[in-house]
Amino acid sequence: MRLSTLLNREAIIVPLQNFEKSAIIEELLEAVSRTGRIIDREKALQALTERENLGSTGLEKGLAIPHARTNAVDGIVMAVGIASEGIDFQSADGEPTHLFFMLLASEAVTSNYVQVLAMIARLNLQSGFRRKMQEAQSVDEVIEIIRQAEE
Amino acid sequence: MQSDRLISKILLFADGSEGCISAAKYGIALSKITGAALKAIYVVNTDLLKQLERARIFVKVEEIDYERDLEEDGRNYLRQITEMAARQNLSVETDLFKGSVHKIAIQQIEDWQADLLIMGELEPGLSRQDTFHDETELIFRKARCSVLVVKDTERIDQIYENLNRE
Repeated sequence: MRLSTLLNREAIIVPLQNFEKSAIIEELLEAVSRTGRIIDREKALQALTERENLGSTGLEKGLAIPHARTNAVDGIVMAVGIASEGIDFQSADGEPTHLFFMLLASEAVTSNYVQVLAMIARLNLQSGFRRKMQEAQSVDEVIEIIRQAEE
Repeated sequence: MQSDRLISKILLFADGSEGCISAAKYGIALSKITGAALKAIYVVNTDLLKQLERARIFVKVEEIDYERDLEEDGRNYLRQITEMAARQNLSVETDLFKGSVHKIAIQQIEDWQADLLIMGELEPGLSRQDTFHDETELIFRKARCSVLVVKDTERIDQIYENLNRE
């Protein structure tokens, strides 16, 4: 599987318009809803919120992966958001979060979903990838950076 | 002790990829022709789940949930392979494991003394960042028996369906 196959221009936000955790989750969900892949938006939001309540999905090195498994979506859907200024997302290292990958997956695709989560974490270990994503100014740039990183 | 026959024990590696069911069909056809014993394994990649938990991507309850669901997926794949073999009047031993995928696959080749490992083709566009890529590459490199990667799934489906007519 490739992350780039999950990219949809409608679901990439550069830059994010919100600066508060729950508002960012809603903004990303709204973007992913535009792709038409969300069956039940409210149920998807509930799943994301419940997951967030178990522990913040703000990780280290400026990355957050708000995610949930829910049959409110069909297959795996992803939204990407960039906040070049950095946002307090209760990250594991206490640092501001710049890069957001929101993932929602139906229960039937757990194996691929786990692989995708691992792929995002791996990509973010590359300092060049992090820097380029943080500095991205457009949707096209984000798509190109992810495609290049996957080669 | 290994047999003198070219193929006497075929290990089918079911990994949940699209190609693994075709690989199983190929193995079943080969077993029917050669009389080789068949075994199918599925490994729940709990190593990866633990890594994701350590990286704080998962909380513990998610790790447990996902492990349970992946185990169920694995059982379904193995059940499907058992049924496919039964349709050709063959029996297949099955085993589900948890841990490091490549390590367990390689250990199974040794323990069961397989002389052929059959697996499905990787997706053509698979990213090098995908752990499927790593695990498969490690199996190729470290397996002590021959490894057969099944391609041309349409043809394999046809051969499998025609087995009983021959």
